[in-house]
Amino acid sequence: MTGRKPYVELVVSGLVSASLYLLLFLYEAEIMQIYTRTDTFYPALPIITAFAFSFAHGAFAGYFWEVVGIRAKRKG
Amino acid sequence: MEPTAAQFIDLTALEVLSLLVIGFVGGLVSGFIGSGGAFVLTPAMMSLGVPGVVAVASNMCHKFPKALVGAYRRYRFGHVDIKLGLVLSASAAAGVWAGADFQRYVKSSFGEAGSNLYVSLAFVVVLVIVGGFVLRDAIGIYRSGSTHAEDRTSRLAKWVQSVEIPGTMIHFKVSNIRVSALFTVPLGFATGLLAATIAVGGFIGVPGMIYMLGAPALIATATELVIAFVMGLGGSIKFALHGLVDIRLTLILLAGSLFGVQLGAIGTTYVRPYVIKVVMAAIMLIVAVSRGLVVPVYLTQLNVMSLGPRTMVWLNYASFAFLVIALGVGGFIIVGAMLQGHRAVVLQKRQAAPAK
Repeated sequence: MTGRKPYVELVVSGLVSASLYLLLFLYEAEIMQIYTRTDTFYPALPIITAFAFSFAHGAFAGYFWEVVGIRAKRKG
Repeated sequence: MEPTAAQFIDLTALEVLSLLVIGFVGGLVSGFIGSGGAFVLTPAMMSLGVPGVVAVASNMCHKFPKALVGAYRRYRFGHVDIKLGLVLSASAAAGVWAGADFQRYVKSSFGEAGSNLYVSLAFVVVLVIVGGFVLRDAIGIYRSGSTHAEDRTSRLAKWVQSVEIPGTMIHFKVSNIRVSALFTVPLGFATGLLAATIAVGGFIGVPGMIYMLGAPALIATATELVIAFVMGLGGSIKFALHGLVDIRLTLILLAGSLFGVQLGAIGTTYVRPYVIKVVMAAIMLIVAVSRGLVVPVYLTQLNVMSLGPRTMVWLNYASFAFLVIALGVGGFIIVGAMLQGHRAVVLQKRQAAPAK
């Protein structure tokens, strides 16, 4: 249970995640227009975006639980 | 199938908040039992005015990254049998294909109400039988007083593992089982078939892995996340090709569910294996009630029964309320069991400390 808590990682991943969500909020109309196009490479956009958010926001959520002290129970 | 602007709704702050909460609890349940959330998320989005197909597409596109993050977490705990997940996913893909075709056939032959009736009846029949079986097992473990014990292998699984068919035997190291592909193929196929029908293949996949193949509950629920990832990714690509994913809904759901799925995954390390079965059975049986309530509505639409419009509205409300209750009960048991497990660990440490 000892060890350093990942405060820096939490802040960095939090900033990345928040920036991504801010972009979504600011450019909502443009994003919706582009992301529903079905020609050329456009259908790949929702998939790539979902992956990108899962890495950034997933990392943030993971660090969040670690910093608040909720960790997996160790075996033994 | 070009989308029009009308297919995508405007979102209010309250709607965003409710999607965040449902996303979180849905994630918590799927991190814990491998699936869940989809059965509430799709109708919840539809009740906000999102067209059915956009709700399914956006939900699907949020499901695969959630499953990926959940699977990664549980892989680190040693719970994931990747080989079993990939083998089952292969036949699940065929099941999804067949299930979607059958859905289309039902819809073209019996219309929207016929299709809805088929889906609801499939929900009720599968969930009552499988959920009842899981509950009976959980009660049996509780009564025997061996709740701390690891999973017992069912009689069916013992038989399945004893069948030797040369050239078809596969060894799954993490689950520590050796079974014939002739058993994994139909199980994967049924998982895919159910996923295409009711959107929650895990209600067959997880109990199938536990009771038919003999995989431990912890491994089965984590491995289901691999199947959910593969199926979710495939489904999302298909929907994206038709421009049906509302990326805003997907990302709002992810904002809540990525917190939930990791908490649920951590939760599995604190609870006894039988708690996983209790959560699964409770959710399955409550969802069965929810779907059972709308059967008379669809029968009325097909002119088989006659109900007043007010009654139909109330039955729809009640059905949705039961879905929310199912998710809430699941989340409540998980958090309760986690707190109990955490307290036990703290107590153990305190008792051990003075002895040293």
